[in-house]
Parts: sequence; C-alpha cells; structure tokens
Amino acid sequence: MGGLSDRDPTSFEPDPVIEAYKKDIDRTLLRANLERSVEERLRDLMRLQRFADEWRRAAERVFR
Amino acid sequence: MIDIETALRVLAGAGVEFIVVGGVAARAHGSARLTNDLDVLYRRTPENIQALAAALGTHAPYLRGAPRGLPFRWDVATIERGLNFTLTTSFGDLDLLGEIVGGGGYEALVADSTAIPVFGVEVRCLNLDRLIHVKRAAGRPKDLEVIAELEALLEERDNTRR
Repeated sequence: MGGLSDRDPTSFEPDPVIEAYKKDIDRTLLRANLERSVEERLRDLMRLQRFADEWRRAAERVFR
Repeated sequence: MIDIETALRVLAGAGVEFIVVGGVAARAHGSARLTNDLDVLYRRTPENIQALAAALGTHAPYLRGAPRGLPFRWDVATIERGLNFTLTTSFGDLDLLGEIVGGGGYEALVADSTAIPVFGVEVRCLNLDRLIHVKRAAGRPKDLEVIAELEALLEERDNTRR
C-alpha cells in the first residue's frame, strides 16, 4: 500500500455540488492507484505528462 | 511538465524544508488527475531561504510566463522580497509557495504532513484530509471536481483499511 498516513482522518460536511461531482468519479482508477506505492503513483504521473506533451506537440504539427 | 524525481531530489538533497501540496500531493495519495507542475510550500526561515536559493541556483529558475530577458535574479534577496513564485526550471514548472490559501504557511501545515521515502530521498507530503480542507477553504469553483475525487479517494482508502 501507499505509505502515506493521516494523523486524524476527518469526515467532511457533505456539499451538494461536490456530492454531485462524486457520482462521476471512476473509482476503479482510484482503487488501482491505492494498490501502488507512492513512487509508482508519481512515476505514472510523469509517464502521463510525457504522453500528454507528445500528444500536444503532435496535434500542433498536424493542425497548425 | 515537471521531472518530479529530479525536483524532489534537488530540493531534499539541498536540505530545503518543504511540503508537497497541490496536484502532485493528490497524485501521491492516489488521485488519477494529470498535473503539470509541482507545488511546494517552503519554510520561510532565513536558513531555509538560503538553502532554497542555493538549491535552484544552478537549475535556471525563471518567472513562468514572463518575457525573456527580464533582470530576474534567483537569490536570497529575491525570495525574501517575494512569497509565492511560479517558476520554470531546467527540470520543469515549479511553484514555490510561502503560504497557501486556506492553509497558511509551513509551520501551520507541517503537523498535517507525513514524511515519505520516495526516489531515494525523504519528502513531506500534505495529508489527504488536510489537502481536502485546504481545497475546500480556498473556495475556487475549478477545485470542486478535484475535491470530489479527493473525498472519493478518502472513502476508498478508509474502506480498504476496515
């Protein structure tokens, strides 16, 4: 598991707007991430950044 | 884009006291959202400002979005005169925050952070519940979807611990 802990896990006053957004959250992605270590999660982020950057540059080449 | 590994190694390796906040902290907790910069809350002590100035000095820090060629100097005096800096560096976009909206400074938040070993260094990361509190307190409409994901993450994490 991740290795991050919280000192005092707290419940939050429900906010209707946040609750509405929460219905569309893909929890399978979150569960998969929770199975990874913090370092794996951050390496995934860096891979995603590189992919997004490459995609953006490719789109610029095609559509400019 | 930010090379998170290099950024954290540079800062922690130089002995800078900081807490990872924002999108990278969310990602460290398990968020699936993409973020392109690293937000860190740094301690505003003379020793730490000196360490921060030295740590980034060789990594070409410059004001993000500013025209090229401005007489920007990254040194102790600049950091002391400012508070929050949005920078480009040789390893990517780095936001150095002396305070965060809804949270305050390093001293106010350090007790709500956890030291984690990552990329061969130890880095403090803001705890998930505090991250949610800060985002809620900031009250920015653009954060609503982010908060929803963080709260879902907290629920999922608590479910796995039961």
